[in-house]
Amino acid sequence: MPWYRRTYDWLERRLQLEGPIKDAVLHPVPKSTASWWYVFGSASAVLLVLQVVTGILLALVYSPSASHAWNILQMLNHQVPLGWFLRAMHGWGSNFMVAIVVIHMAQVFLFGAYKFPRELTWIIGVFLLLLTLGMAFTGQVLRFDQDAYWGLAIGASILGRVPWIGGQLVHLMLGGPIINGATLTRFFALHVFILPGTLLVLTGLHVWMVVKLGINEWPMPGRLVRRETYIQEYNELAHKDGLPFFPGAAWKDAYFAAAILLAVALCAAYFGPYGPTGTPDPTIINTVPKPDPPFLWIYTVLSYLPPEMETPFLLIVPPLAIAVLLGLPFVAGVGEKSWWRRPVAVFSVMFLAVCWASFTHLATYTPWSPKMNAWSGAPIPTAFLERRTPLERQGANVFQEKQCRNCHSIGGSGGLRGPALDDVATRLTEDQLIRQVLLGGGNMPAYGSTLSPPETTALVRFLNTLHPNYQPAASDASRAVAGQGGVPSASTVERGNGQHKTQ
Amino acid sequence: MKGLGLVLLAATALSGCHMPGRPAPGPEVPRPESVMSFAQLYGENCSGCHGADGRNGSAMELGNPVYLAIIDDAALRNIIANGEKGTLMPGFGNAAGGSLTDKQIDALVSGMRARWAKPNVLAGMTAPPWKASQPGDATHGAAVYTQACARCHGNTSQQPGAAGSILDGSFLALVNDQTIRTIVIAGRDDIGQPDWRNVLLGRALTDAEITDLTAWLIAQTPPHPGHPYPSTQPTAERPGEQQPLATHTQ
Repeated sequence: MPWYRRTYDWLERRLQLEGPIKDAVLHPVPKSTASWWYVFGSASAVLLVLQVVTGILLALVYSPSASHAWNILQMLNHQVPLGWFLRAMHGWGSNFMVAIVVIHMAQVFLFGAYKFPRELTWIIGVFLLLLTLGMAFTGQVLRFDQDAYWGLAIGASILGRVPWIGGQLVHLMLGGPIINGATLTRFFALHVFILPGTLLVLTGLHVWMVVKLGINEWPMPGRLVRRETYIQEYNELAHKDGLPFFPGAAWKDAYFAAAILLAVALCAAYFGPYGPTGTPDPTIINTVPKPDPPFLWIYTVLSYLPPEMETPFLLIVPPLAIAVLLGLPFVAGVGEKSWWRRPVAVFSVMFLAVCWASFTHLATYTPWSPKMNAWSGAPIPTAFLERRTPLERQGANVFQEKQCRNCHSIGGSGGLRGPALDDVATRLTEDQLIRQVLLGGGNMPAYGSTLSPPETTALVRFLNTLHPNYQPAASDASRAVAGQGGVPSASTVERGNGQHKTQ
Repeated sequence: MKGLGLVLLAATALSGCHMPGRPAPGPEVPRPESVMSFAQLYGENCSGCHGADGRNGSAMELGNPVYLAIIDDAALRNIIANGEKGTLMPGFGNAAGGSLTDKQIDALVSGMRARWAKPNVLAGMTAPPWKASQPGDATHGAAVYTQACARCHGNTSQQPGAAGSILDGSFLALVNDQTIRTIVIAGRDDIGQPDWRNVLLGRALTDAEITDLTAWLIAQTPPHPGHPYPSTQPTAERPGEQQPLATHTQ
């Protein structure tokens, strides 16, 4: 007997792991589960391992100190060989993990896999999702750059809105009344010990139950789940029309996980690591902090909510959403599994996906937010200045200097908060422009007190030139009439349709 | 061993070849006061009014070599830091509430000279100084206007010339004597407007003429400028575009 065989036997006699592992690996699963739709759970687990490995490597270098963290990430980016790639793998691994976990959840939901007897698997899965999001947020904080700083500030102000105990919660989260060194050590402990520890334990339980309860069979319309008969039906399916999990179904998992890892590596190599953006210094006000991709949709929602709706939304919707997810297997624990006969489920997923995609897309260009340096940094396109009079050019200066550009775009650059002004003269007459500039309205502030009369006149003259060549500026016919020193005797006003001369 | 070789190969490839994700040297977002690149400073602070690359903006053409030849560094620095009183140019220096440090303003001034100045642009001629040395004579300025400016800018604000009126009260209220002096001397070669040498046929304007003209123009500012309807005649009709305004006089 060769030496490795003897070593193996020596270990096996004491560990006795061969039996359980063989049972788990070779247990029969329904043939229908050997599908490309069933690969997301294992891919999540593989990404978790990737995050643990890259996370440990990062932890070898990282220091959770408010004065050093940012510099250490700079060192990783620029001095440690492939340090930037390691950071990029961990950052992109995080994005992929959130995405794959969410896809896994949607798939499980659409396939009715949360129904009897897999209710607890689902419930633990909900907590795994929350923990994954928690890992993403705490990881963003450890970057300790401007995004992290302001992300923390938003997190703290959300917590501070909890009635009665908000103040204490903020104190607990930040380790003091403000964001400081203790905040970073707290989030380091959360990100490196508490959350991943819980995540690993719950993942173990989750997988254990999948092995013990069997992989959910492919749902067939009309094959209802009944508590009394389901186990027996499943076992028949798995044994009569089944195949061993390994290698029957596992090879697809392996291929998909490998593809995902490759995708993470490609994204890391192509897009690089996340930040760190600027130093986390609250005195730097010309910054546009943004959350990481998993939280972009919240950024949009909070930006669009009217102020009075913020607190109710923040305090009611998340607990409600979690309660709905947790309560789902108890409310709909039996019955139809197939998406063909669960239109509400299908449309819920579609609705949430469309909402999520729209909000995330909006957050990539933040149309609600003024572009604070457009006034000094976005030139007026030459076409809008050609053949303009000196006064109109001064009007363009007023337009820039009074920061109209921060909310209004011209030629595609500038803020998107207000309407684009490329052809504003076709919509508003000179008088209407003056009124709008001075009094505001329609969500625009009044600028009457900040513009002198010459500035207003120049600005409006410039705006009045903003119309295409083929379309004249909107004009007020009565102005031309008044220009002749009163209504002339035979003006077009008097000869309007349905009118006749009175004298 | 084969696997190990592949890993080593991959690692060499990763570290050796250029990958687009690799961070560029220096922090991704430097502290605002540590930005010293002229392109970035100019692009974020000046290009909005003065145009990309110092040309074709609504405000003064900074890329004009004549302008850069007549103005000295101290004056440029002062305008950037503190703005120009009586005009729309705001101060960008820290002391004036702006975000630029003295070093950044120096970087802007030297960058403008390095990019746009032409050392021999005024070789062999004496340009009028950037700053007027004496007060002007407004009465004589009127004659200079008629002779030099009226051809393009019109005799009165009611009769604007092809280049638009510069006698408009709102326009005059938004510029100061230095704006007028600078533009008369340096011109705007980006939009085809002449400098002091090419306004008159045959000779350049003199320093005294420019000073007088400036004084006269500033004196034309009405006491309460900016009335939107000083007269109901269009004062700022775009050159070449006659709009069908009611002109009948019956």
